[in-house]
Amino acid sequence: MEEFHPHNDEMIFNADEAHNIVKECIESILGKADYSHDKVNQWTATIVEQSLTHLVKLGKTYKYIVTCAVMQKSGAGLHTASSCFWDTTTDGTCTVRWENRTMNCIVNVFAVAIIL
Amino acid sequence: MDEFQSGEETAFVVDEVSNIIKEAIEGAIGGNAYQHSKVNQWTTSVVEQTLSQLTKLGKPFKYIVTCVIMQKNGAGLHTASSCFWDNSSDGNCTVRWENKTMYCIVSAFGLAI
Repeated sequence: MEEFHPHNDEMIFNADEAHNIVKECIESILGKADYSHDKVNQWTATIVEQSLTHLVKLGKTYKYIVTCAVMQKSGAGLHTASSCFWDTTTDGTCTVRWENRTMNCIVNVFAVAIIL
Repeated sequence: MDEFQSGEETAFVVDEVSNIIKEAIEGAIGGNAYQHSKVNQWTTSVVEQTLSQLTKLGKPFKYIVTCVIMQKNGAGLHTASSCFWDNSSDGNCTVRWENKTMYCIVSAFGLAI
């Protein structure tokens, strides 16, 4: 991919852009649905794949990791944490929390710059 | 860091990382029951302990560690992850742990620099 020639000083992860991309993916897949044990696996897989595809289409020289957790609403407590060892000037993360009446969905995007 | 090019182990070794994660989980929440007031502190300490042990390995990797702790009360939890990276050098490792009152899922991703 020689045409990209990025300058490392211009590479900053645009969290808002990623946030919008992921929010649209979640809406389109879970939007009107109720939690369904049979379908959840398919939903989480589709959310991560679609989000990843859209992020890659941005054409930036980043490696991406997208994780998604869907949990049924039943009163249980859920806590998540993440810690990253990277280059804080170029790498970044974005977390989208979404919910409806029957489930909670948390999607994390981690973007790590590729040093050429 | 020229010394890394001299043939040292610079691959993401899943077993090694898996052990590091298990020790961090045991150390932080080992004998405990789910407690709403302590969970934040537990998740933070699991990810920080795991990350610091991973960086001590001294390999030329960037790391991302995530931890999810969920109270056991019958709810369903599904997680998925998708990665766009270099398959030959990057890797990940997920450890699922549970006790009588909670589930803990820790994922570590390593990306070669």
